[in-house]
This record gives sequence, structure tokens and C-alpha cells, in this order.
Amino acid sequence: MWHIAKRELYDNLNSLRFALATVLLLALMLTNAVVHLREHPVRMQKYRDAAMESLNTLTSRTDLYDLAQKGPEKLYKKPSPLHFSADGGDGLLPAFTHAASHFRGGDLKSFWRMTYPSATPNLKNIDPDATKIDWAFVISYVLSLIALLFTFDAISGEREHGTLRLMLANPIPRHTVLIGKFLGAFISVNIPFVIAVLMNLLVISTSSAVHLDASEWGRLGIIVGIAMLYLSLFLALGLLVSARVRQSAVSLVILLLIWVSFVVFMPNTLASIASDFSPARSYDAFQEDRRQTRRAILEVYYPQLSATDDPSKKMVISGEYVTEDATQDGRLRQEYLSERISQVSQARTITRISPVAIAQHLLEVFAGTGLARHLQFVENVQLYAREYHEFIADTERADPESPHIIGVRDGMSKKEVSPEAIPIFEDTLSLSKDFNVAAMDLLLLTLFVVVLLSGAYLAFVRVEV
Amino acid sequence: MLKTLIGRELLDNLMTFRFAAVALITLLLVVVNTVVLVQDYEQRLESYNDAVKMHHQDLHNSKTYSTAYVIVDRAPNPLSIFNVGLDKRLGNLIGIYHGFMPTLWDAQMHGTDNPFIAFFSSIDIVFVFEVILSLMGLIFAYDAIAGERERGTLRLVLAQPIGRGQILLAKYISAMACLLVPLILSLLFALLFLTRSIPLSTADFFRIAGIVLTSFAYLSLFYLIGLLISVATRRTGTALMLAMFVWGFLILVYPNLIRVTVNPGGDIQARVKTAHNQIQQIIDEYERERQKFLENEGIAGEMSEFSKALGFYHQADVNPVTLTTYIENMSVLSEIRPDFEKYVPVAKRYYNFVEPLATRTVEKAWRVRKQALDEIYVQQATTDRILLKLSPVGIYDAATQAWAGTNLSGLRDFFEAARRYRKITIDYLYAKDAFSSREWFVADKGAVDWRTLPAFTFQRSDVRTNAKRALPDLFLLLIANLALFMGIVLIFMRSEV
Repeated sequence: MWHIAKRELYDNLNSLRFALATVLLLALMLTNAVVHLREHPVRMQKYRDAAMESLNTLTSRTDLYDLAQKGPEKLYKKPSPLHFSADGGDGLLPAFTHAASHFRGGDLKSFWRMTYPSATPNLKNIDPDATKIDWAFVISYVLSLIALLFTFDAISGEREHGTLRLMLANPIPRHTVLIGKFLGAFISVNIPFVIAVLMNLLVISTSSAVHLDASEWGRLGIIVGIAMLYLSLFLALGLLVSARVRQSAVSLVILLLIWVSFVVFMPNTLASIASDFSPARSYDAFQEDRRQTRRAILEVYYPQLSATDDPSKKMVISGEYVTEDATQDGRLRQEYLSERISQVSQARTITRISPVAIAQHLLEVFAGTGLARHLQFVENVQLYAREYHEFIADTERADPESPHIIGVRDGMSKKEVSPEAIPIFEDTLSLSKDFNVAAMDLLLLTLFVVVLLSGAYLAFVRVEV
Repeated sequence: MLKTLIGRELLDNLMTFRFAAVALITLLLVVVNTVVLVQDYEQRLESYNDAVKMHHQDLHNSKTYSTAYVIVDRAPNPLSIFNVGLDKRLGNLIGIYHGFMPTLWDAQMHGTDNPFIAFFSSIDIVFVFEVILSLMGLIFAYDAIAGERERGTLRLVLAQPIGRGQILLAKYISAMACLLVPLILSLLFALLFLTRSIPLSTADFFRIAGIVLTSFAYLSLFYLIGLLISVATRRTGTALMLAMFVWGFLILVYPNLIRVTVNPGGDIQARVKTAHNQIQQIIDEYERERQKFLENEGIAGEMSEFSKALGFYHQADVNPVTLTTYIENMSVLSEIRPDFEKYVPVAKRYYNFVEPLATRTVEKAWRVRKQALDEIYVQQATTDRILLKLSPVGIYDAATQAWAGTNLSGLRDFFEAARRYRKITIDYLYAKDAFSSREWFVADKGAVDWRTLPAFTFQRSDVRTNAKRALPDLFLLLIANLALFMGIVLIFMRSEV
């Protein structure tokens, strides 16, 4: 078996395709590294400045009512240092959430609720369309094409030359031949790929502008692993078709057409079809719902408020009103967000028929970019919002002199709050959570590989020489 | 002899598996994507119609001139199904106001209920062709000569009394005839789906014909690239590998690579800053004249009273990034208190003076801004597009966008029309003496009647303009075709069999 693999390897190393693949992959990966080094420091600086400004505003507040009414300002999503491995359409996703409160007039101010800005398509961008050259692009498009170009003639070519007959005349079982061929192709595609990856990482890690720590190196390892799994899938596909078809030219045509339909067209076409299945509420409908909810709350509290003249009772009702208003509106906004997200997620689920979509999701998840990352950020924000509410309630409770009516200035503690006590938002990533998100995709990808490999085996066993 | 050769080649090509497979896939992809695209277009059209209705209503609800809200919408281009270009990406609604010059950098978007969907890029028919036609051309060409050489049939053919150029011509003609079948067939199917739900004008059919012509040139170019490789190599295996890598590079890698490697000009910030300062000076001058007027009227000292009486809102700003210049003088009030009635004559004089001044100021600022925007954004985008044209895909994309009217010039036409409409509304306001009228700021003596305001119309540029924009690129494609063919003939003449 190793003999066959070695022979394949030597065959490939001297071939034109090997040289071209190496040049192509190296050029792409080096460009990627250079662009990352140019863009990442700017991105980080922007994030740091914005997060710092927001934090300073927050910690400059010492009045508990102020803190409770205005909320935790804008919370920013931390850019991933692994941006170069998968961009994940991060430019489109909002980079922050905003704690907004609206002026209500009079003494009664509305309390903050979390608002989730929509995706931010760039309306001013008149440049021609271009896909970001990240690892995900290199792997899912270029590497898969190279894999097919390395395997389309693996069996049909030998049959055409008559060498297959020679080989099978030796006392080697067919599956050994197949595995040998697979390994040979796997190693020969991996040599340029791994060299390109290493060069890319070399450039990135020698620069002082980007710092990668241990967990990020681990993530990169996982990403390379996924790339290899994905590569195996296309190698297996190439072997399968090559075993079934008599002529290598026909084999290549079939493979290219499969590749074009599954890799280039399928994900986007399917997504466009699927996104119509469960459309989110329209923006106007959402605003209408908000207006109605607001009115309904007002209708409950306004009569109560005008019914009493007792100032302390008035205060209690106002407090309840303000809290209810903020909670309900926050809930509606959250619902609207999850509606829109679920529409996209559903569309993405359907695109999983195409292995490219699976690979891209996986790479995004482990690179800490894209939709999955955004969902984790939103989750972090919601956790923090809860923590912030608890902090307000606890501080309020700790002051025995206060009347304990959250929502009105006179009802709340007048004690000065120390800036250290205010909880601070931290946007963290956890690898175990990422594995949870990725589990299904990983299994699916493995399943694809196994099915295709066994298909190739069955096809090869039945080959008449 | 040529005829026999063509006949043989045609039969050779038609009877192959690759022909059937390619034809089927093209047809499938075009039809599926057309269905999706038509649906998408209809949705956009619906949201456009809703928006127009809403904005019309908004305008007729505004009771005074100064609070009027004129918004014009951009209809989706039905030919965006062929090449979407910038049609879906750029803003599709823009405000029309005398103190503001509308450009595409100020436009906003209606009808995006879920912007997250923008995650998925839309696939238009030209994109399908870009990928498939080029692949088809190469697959048909790579073994045209190299294959015959390998099998030894080339020697046989050359033994006949025909020129080598004729052999190439025969191969070219027959292969193109074959390749046209899936192209035309899929386009016919696409048109069938299209015309069922979208009414197309005669002009649109001419534009589509232009797109078909360009597609033809593009297809032919890739066939010739394949032929060149086939002529220059001895073995089909090598030819195939070269063809595939050339394809991958031209289609997949180059268009994406070139955008990142070209560093956008570093002194953009500085350029924006100078323009910003210039415009700020223009605004300052406006502000000085405004103050002078207020002093002459003797109400500079009682400004707070005056603003309270008029529900006054004033703003004169320039955006530091997009350089949007905005001068707003507005009164938000439903009636004038009797004790404030004394300010009404002053207010009339004030608005009559300041609004034409604002109009002039904005126009002056626009001259600075236009130049800056061209230098900062448009030039960068143009350079990018020129670089893209080093790959046939870039030329093809640019030419089809020009035919469809979804390229930058096509969209700028709309904003040009919006600016013309601004002029019309200003003329209308002058004709009505609106600036010096009471209805400018308060509607207690009757609301403004907007019915006589001319409606906004925008006609896409006529076919001739489209052609003028597309022809340079089409010629580029044709010249590339010709040059390649000459090169192939030369190489083939000198090659040994």
C-alpha cells in the first residue's frame, strides 16, 4: 500500500499540476497574510477606542438612578484575531448592541432596553464585488478544485494507459490499491497546502501587530484538520467518478460540473429559495407591534396614575410603568432579532446539502467570526444585561435609606456608586461551546467523506480492467 | 473542404458526453436561478410600490412647505436579473430638499426587512454564464489540436490540400456552433420565465440582445484561450491541466485577488479633510450672512423669542465622511399664538431671504463635494474596474452591466434625475412664492396643496446610451478574440506535426 502511495506521490511531485497548485496556493495565502496584517491592527484599534469610550461613559456615572435609567451604553463585539482564516461576512454583521432609552418628557424617563442594530450592508460601496481571500475561500474553492484535478485520472488514467491491468496482476487486494491512491493524492495535495499555510502563519506570527495565544493556535489546528477532512471528501469524489468512468476526459467533465454546481451555485441558490420559507416580520409590522404594546401598557397604568393623588403611590405606579415598558420593549426587540436570525439560520441549514457550506460554517465557527460568533456575542450581551439588572437591584437593596422604587429618581438610592462596583462587559469565546455548535456540521462532513469513500471502494471493486 | 471539416467537427462535438452534460447543467442552473431572481425582483418591485405610495402620502400629509418631505424612490431594474450590478446594493430612496444635494452617497434603502439575508450573494444569469461558459469553452478546446496530434489524425488532415488556418477556422466555427446551443437555449428558457411575470419593453429586448452578443464574445474568447493552450502543448493531459489552472486563476482567483492587493490611496483622509474644510467655509459664510440679516432686522437679540414663536429649527452641517451638506430651516408648529403674530412679517422676510441663500450655498458646496467624491470614491472604483478588466470576466461583467444599466453610470443617472427634480421643486416653490408665504411655516390659514407639484419620473437611459457605455468593453473582448486567433494561427503555422 505504501508502495502505491509513494509511487503516486513521486508521480505527482513531478507533474505540472503540482507546480501550478503550489504557486497558486502560496500566492493566495501570502496575500491573505499581508492583507490581514494591514487590516487587523486598524480593526482592533477601532474596537478598542469604541469600547473604551463606552466604558468611560459608563464608569463616569455615579448616580444609581442614572445608571439604572441609561444602562450599560454600547457593547462591542471583539474582533477575532483569526479573521484571516474565515471572514464570515463580519463586515455585514453589526459590531455592537446598544442600550437605548427614550426621553418621555416630564420627570418620567424611560429605562434602557437592549437594541440590536440590523446588519449593515454598505450602501455607499460602489466598488466591484469581490469575495474576501481568506483561508475559507482558499480551502473551499481552490483546494477542492485542486483535489479534483489530482484525482480525476487516478483510476481512469491508468486504465487508459493499461497500467491498471499490470498493477492488478500483482497479488495486491483492490482496496489496498484504492487506499494507496487516496493516500498518495492526499499527501501530494497536502504538501503545497501545508507549505502555504505555514508560510501564511510565519508571516502573520512574525509581525508584532497580531498576537496569537495558545487557544488560537489550537483553533488553527482544528481549522487545518477540517480543511483536510474537506479535502478528503473531494479526493474521494474524484476517485469515485474516476473509477466509474472509462475516459479521464469524461471523468473530469463530470467532476467539474459537480464541483461548479455544488461549490459555486448551490449554496447561494438554495439559500435564496429557502429564505422565503419563513420570512421574518417586516420592519413596519415590528414597529406596529411595539407601538401597540406601548399603548397597552400605557392604558393599564395611566388610569391608575390619574386615579391617585398620593405622591408615594404615584411613585410606585410610575416605577412599575417604567420597568414594564422597558422589559416589554426589550422582549419585543429580542424576539424580532431571533426571528430574523432564525430565517437566516434556516436558509443556512438547507445549504448544508452542499459540503462547501458545511466547511464554511465550520471554519467560521472555529475562527470566531460569522453568524455563530454573532449569536454568541448576543448571548454574552444578554447575560451581561441580566448581571447589570441584578447589580442595580442589589445596590438598591443595600441602601437602607432608599424607598426601593426602581424607575423613579426619588424612589431610588442616592448613594454614590463606585466605578469599580459596576459590572463590566466581557466578550468571551469558549471552545467547548463552539464544538457544540459545530458538532452537527462535523458529523455531516465526516458522513459525506465516509459515504464517498465507500462509494469509491464499491465502484473500484466492480471495475473491469 | 472547409465545409466537410466543419461538418466532421460538428458531429464530433455534438455526439460527445461533455456536450450533453454541459448543455444540461447550463439549462438547469439558468432556469433555477431565473425563477429565484424573478421572485426576488417581484418582491423588490412590490416594496418599491409600497414605498412610493407611502412617500406620496407623507408628502400630502405635510401641511406647510418647510416641513414637506419629498422622497423619491428608485424602481428595481428588471434587467438586474441578467446582471444585478449595483442595483440591489446601493440605496433606493433619497430625499429631495432645496437645502440638500442628493447623491448616491446619501441614499437610503427601503424594502430590506431582513438585512441578514444579504449574507447570501445573489446569483444572476451573467454570473452563471461567467462560470459555465468559460468552463465550456475550455473543455471543448483543450484537446482540439493536442488530441488530434496525440492520435495522429492531425497528420492525416494536414496531408489534405487545405491551409492550416482553415483547419483552425473549421474547428472554431463548429465548436462555437455547438457551444451556442446551450447558451441560446438557456436564454430562451430564461426569457420564457421572465416575460411571463415581468413586462419587458422593446428597448429591453435590444439590451438583452446586447448581453447575448457580449456573452457570445466572452464564450469565444475562452474557447480561443483553450485553443491556444491546445496548440501550444504536445499532450492533452498538459493542455487540460493548464486550461483548468488558467480557468481557476482568471475566474476564481484574479477578480478577488486584485481588489485586496491594490492598496486604496493613503491620503483619502487628507482629501476628505480639505474638502470638508472648504465646505465648512462655505457654510460659515452662509451663517454670517444669515446672522447679518437677523441683525439688520433687529431680532438677533430676541432669537429665543423668535424661535419659540416659529417652532424654529435650524441646522447647517457637513458630514465629515460623506461630505453631505445639509441646511435646514424649519418651523414645526400648528398655529401661531396671538401675541407672537408680530413676528410673522419678519418670519416671512427671514425665510424669503434665507431659503434661497441656503439653496445657493448648497449648490456652491456641491461643486466642491462633487469633485472630492469623484476623486475619493469614484476614481478608486474605476481603477479597480480597470484592473479587473485584465481578466475577461471583468470585461464581460462590465459590458453586461452597462447593457443592463446596473453599472455605476446607470445608477448615477437616477441620482442625476433626482438632482434635476430638486431643481424642479425649487422652481415650483419660487413659482408659488412659497418662501415668503405664511404657509411656509404655519398652516393655520389653510394647508399647502401639493397636487400641482410635478411628479418625479425617471426613465432608464435609452438603448443608445447603454450601447455607448457597453461598446468599448465589447470591442475590447472582440479585439482580444482577434488577437488570440491571430496568435493561434501563427503558432499553429510554425508548429511541427
